Amino acid sequence: MADKLDVQQGTLALMILRTLDVLGPLHGYGVARRIEETSKHRLTLNYGTLYPALLKLEQEGFIKAEWRQSENNRRAKYYTLTAAGRRQLAREARDWHRTADLIAAFLAPRRESP
Amino acid sequence: MRYLRAALARLAGFFTGSRGDADLRDELQAHLDMDIAENIRRGMSPEAARRQALMASGGLTQAAEAVRDRRGLPWVESVVADIRYALRALRHSPAFTLVVVITLALGIGANTAIFSVVRGVLLKPLPHHEGDRLVYLRHSMDGPGGAGIAFSVPEVRDFRTGAPSLAGIAEFSEWTMTFQDTDGAVRLRAGLVTGNYFEVMGLSPVLGRLTEPTDDGPGVPAVMVLTHDGWQKRFGGDSSVVGRQLRFDGKLVRVIGVLEPAPFFPGRAEALFNMVVSDHHISAFMVEGRTHRMTEMIARLAPGATLAQARREVATVSTRIQQEFKDAYDPASNHRIAVIPFQEVLGERARLTLWLLMGAAAFVMIISAANVANLTLMRGVRRQHELVVRAALGAGLARLRRLLLVENLLLAILGAAFGVLIAIGGVRLLTTFAERYSPRASEITLDGVVLGFTVALAAAVALVLSFLATLPREGGFASWILAGAQRVSGNLRKQRLQRALVVVQIAVSVVLLAGAGLLTRTMMRLSDVDTGLRTEEVLTMQVSLLTQTELLTNPAADASAKERYDRMREEIAALPGAVEVGIGSPVPLRSSDIRFEVKAEGKALAVGEAMPRAELRTANPEFFRAAGIPLLQGRPFTPTDRVGSGMVVVINQTLADKFFPTEDPIGKRIAWTGDVLRFTPISGDWRTVVGVAGNTQDGGLDAEPRPAVFMPFAQMLAISGGIVIRADSNVSALASAATRIVRRLAPTAPIENVMTVAQYKDQSVSPRRLNAALVSSFGILAVLIAAVGIAGVLAFSVSARTNEIGIRMSLGADGGRVQRMILREGGVLLALGLVLGVGGAFFTARVIRGLLFGIAPHDPATFIGVAVMMAAIGIGACWIPALRAARIDPAIAMRA
Repeated sequence: MADKLDVQQGTLALMILRTLDVLGPLHGYGVARRIEETSKHRLTLNYGTLYPALLKLEQEGFIKAEWRQSENNRRAKYYTLTAAGRRQLAREARDWHRTADLIAAFLAPRRESP
Repeated sequence: MRYLRAALARLAGFFTGSRGDADLRDELQAHLDMDIAENIRRGMSPEAARRQALMASGGLTQAAEAVRDRRGLPWVESVVADIRYALRALRHSPAFTLVVVITLALGIGANTAIFSVVRGVLLKPLPHHEGDRLVYLRHSMDGPGGAGIAFSVPEVRDFRTGAPSLAGIAEFSEWTMTFQDTDGAVRLRAGLVTGNYFEVMGLSPVLGRLTEPTDDGPGVPAVMVLTHDGWQKRFGGDSSVVGRQLRFDGKLVRVIGVLEPAPFFPGRAEALFNMVVSDHHISAFMVEGRTHRMTEMIARLAPGATLAQARREVATVSTRIQQEFKDAYDPASNHRIAVIPFQEVLGERARLTLWLLMGAAAFVMIISAANVANLTLMRGVRRQHELVVRAALGAGLARLRRLLLVENLLLAILGAAFGVLIAIGGVRLLTTFAERYSPRASEITLDGVVLGFTVALAAAVALVLSFLATLPREGGFASWILAGAQRVSGNLRKQRLQRALVVVQIAVSVVLLAGAGLLTRTMMRLSDVDTGLRTEEVLTMQVSLLTQTELLTNPAADASAKERYDRMREEIAALPGAVEVGIGSPVPLRSSDIRFEVKAEGKALAVGEAMPRAELRTANPEFFRAAGIPLLQGRPFTPTDRVGSGMVVVINQTLADKFFPTEDPIGKRIAWTGDVLRFTPISGDWRTVVGVAGNTQDGGLDAEPRPAVFMPFAQMLAISGGIVIRADSNVSALASAATRIVRRLAPTAPIENVMTVAQYKDQSVSPRRLNAALVSSFGILAVLIAAVGIAGVLAFSVSARTNEIGIRMSLGADGGRVQRMILREGGVLLALGLVLGVGGAFFTARVIRGLLFGIAPHDPATFIGVAVMMAAIGIGACWIPALRAARIDPAIAMRA
C-alpha cells in the first residue's frame, strides 16, 4: 500500500486509449480493472477519476460509447477506440516516450563519481 | 478542432443535462454491480463484497458530480444558482438592500446624468464630417469688447492666399432678419454664409440642397437653408417648406434645403442665407473695407497639415498685414489671432462648469461607494458564520468569492437601474442648464456610451465591494470557524478600513460643501450687484421698425420710423400707471453691438496706450429718467437736441473718468474715430459733452462697466428701438397694454424682449443659481450619506464592543464615561476628515476660481462655516450610538 500512486495528470487518457487499443471495446469496469492490473495495483481508480476522463475522451471524439450486453448478460456501456483515437494514441505514446527518454537522460547517474 | 468539438459537446450537455443523468446512474450502477459480483466470485460474503466495492468507488454521488461538471457548463449552472441564492439573500435583508440600492442609485444617477452632459457637450465627436479637422480663428485685441472682433473680407482673403494649411475657409456672418409671416413678423437669428460654407464644415442636408460656390456674389437669386432647429421651431418640421419663397426683410428668398442638426458658433442660427440677401454684405464697404469686421472664419485643415503648422502660417500672415496696413491695426491694441479646434471652442464656456459638476458627482459617487462598502463590511462580519458553514459544506474559496461578486453585482445593477431613472429625469433639467453654456446642448442624450459608462461604474463598484470582504486563505477555514462566532467585530484590518472610509467620506463632504458654499455666495453676491439703475419697476421692449438695410441706406424710412416711435411713446405714457416712457437703444442692461474708437479733444494718448473704445447708445430726452439712470453731472438731452442743432452727447462715468479724471467734463468735446467709420453713416465730428450718466451693468452683473457714449435719439439713426417704461409699482401689468399699442401702430414690426429690469437681472443670475443649486444638492447629499456612514460605523463598533463595555461598566465606568469614549472614537475620525477636507477644499477652490465672483477662493467665512456645519452634523451623528452605548446594561451585556 505504501507505494500507491496518484494518477498523473494527462497520463490517464493515454492509459485508457491504450487499454481500448489492446483489448478492443470495453466497459468502464473493465478499463479500471485492466489499468489496475497493468499497474500491478499501484494505481486505483475511483469512479470520480475514471468517468470524467472517459467523458472527456468521448467529447473529444477519441472514443465512442454504446450500451451492449456483456459476456455474463449484463447491460453495460462499452467504449470503442475511434480512428481519431488511434491517431491520438500514436501521437501521445510518441510524445510520452520522448519525454521519458529525456527525463531518464537527466536523471542518469553521473559518469565520474568520486 | 478537438477543443471546439468538446466545447460543442459540453454546450449540448448543458441543455440535455437530465437525460444524461439517468444514463450515468445506470453506468455507475453497472460498474458497482460488476465489482460486487467479482468480489463475491473471489469468495467474499455479499455484505463484505458490497462494502468493499463501495469503498473502492470513491462515492457514487461524488463521481456523478465530477462527471456532471465535465459534461455541461457547470460554471453557468452554478452562476444561475448563485444569482438565485443572492436574490434570496437580499430579500432576507430588505433594509440593507434598500439602503444600498438607494445610495448607489443616487451616486450612479448623478454621475450618469452629468456624464451625459459632459459627453454631449464636450466629448462627443462633432456631427461634421471629420469635425476634428475644423478650426475656429479668433481675432482679438486689448481693451473692453476686444475679444472676438471677427474679420473683414480683405483679411479673410489674406488668409485664403497666405495659409495653405487651411484647405478651405468658410465665412459666417451673424445677422438678424425680420421674417414676414402671415401672422405677423418675427426676428430670426440668421447667418450669412459663403457658398463653400457647408463643404468646408462637412455638413449634409436632410432635405433639398445646400448653398454652393455658385450662390456667391451679386446678381444671383437669394436662397436660404434652414437649420434643423429653425426648421423644427418655425415650420414644425414640415418638409413642404423646401422650394417655397419666404419674405425676409421685404425680399423673397427661396428655401433650398434643410440642414442636418449641427451646433453653430459664435451665435445660434435658425437659417443660413447666401450673402446676396444683404445689400450691405455685397457692397464695396463690406468687400473692400479692411476694418469692417463682420465675418467669422471657420477653416478646415488641409490633409496632412497640423494645427501647429496652421498656427504658424496664420501668425505669419497676421504679422505681415499688420506691417503692411498700419492704419487698420493700432499697434497698441495688440491685434492677435488664435487658431482653436472647433470642438474646443464650442465647449469653452461650458468646460469649467461641467468638469466642476462632474467632479462633484464623482465625489458623491466616492461617498456613496464608501458608505455601501461600510455597510457590506458590517454585513460581511455578521455573515461570517454563514460563509463558514458554506465552506464546511464544500464551497471553495473561489466559489465564495464568486457568490459575493454576484450578490454585489446584483446590488450594483439594481442601483444602476434606478440611477438611470434618476438620470433620465435629470438630463432634461441639465439640458436647459447646458443651453446657456453650449450650442451643443441638444446633443445630450443617454446613449450607448453613457449607459456603457453607467454599467462600467456599477461593475467597478461591485468588484471593489467583493474584494473588500475578507475571506480566509484556502484551508484556513478551521481557525475561522473557531474565531468566527466570538469576534464579531472583525479583525483590526477591517476596522481600520471602515474608519478610513468614514474619514474619506467626511473629507469629501467638506470639499463639496465648501464648493457649494463658494458658489452660493457667488450667486448671492451677484444678485446684490447694483445694476446702476435707480429702480427695478422698469419694463423694456425692443421694437424694430427698420431692417438693417433700410437703416443704413434709407433716410426717409428712418425719419418716419422716428415719428412712429414718438407716437408709441406718447400713447404708452398716457396709460394709467405709467410714470415715464423713454426711447433709446439698446435698452438698459443690454450691451451695444456698436462700438467705435473714441477720442477727446486736446487729449493725446500716452505712448503705447490702446485707443479707447466706447459703446454707442442712443437716448431720447425722457430715456434716463424712465430707465432710472442717474445723471451725475450736467443735463439729460432736451427736445432741442435735434438734427441741425449742435451735436451733443452724454458719456458714462467710466469714460468721463478715463478722459477727464481731474476736470469737469461738461462742455468738453469728444468724437468717434477710426477707419471703420468710413463704412457707417456716423460722422467723426466733434460732439459736446452735456452730461455724465452713472454706470450701468450692461455687460452682465459680473462684468466691469464699459465706456459708453449716449447720442440723442433724434441725432442718430433709429437703431433697434428700445422702449423703456417706468411705473410706480407692478410695471409688468403694463406689458400687455403697451404691446397692444405697439402692435396697432406697427402691425408688422417684431416685438422682442418684453422684460422687466428685474427679469433681466434674474436672467443674468439664474445660470449661476442653478450651478450653485446643483453643487449644493450634491453637497447636502454627500453630508447626509456621510452622517449615516459615521453613525453606522460607530453603532456597529458599539454593538461589537457590547461585551467590553459591559466589563468596563461593571468595573465602575459610568454611562457618561462610556458615552465620552464612543464620542471620542467618532471625534477622532471627524477631526481627521475635517483636516483632510479643508485641505482638499483649498485646492479645489483654486481650480474653480474662474467660476467665482466677488469672493476670494479661500473665503474664510465660507470655510469656517462649512467646517462648523460638518462638525455639528458629525457630532450629532456620533451622539446616537454614543447614547446607546451609555445605556448598555452591564448585566445583560456580559451574559450576551
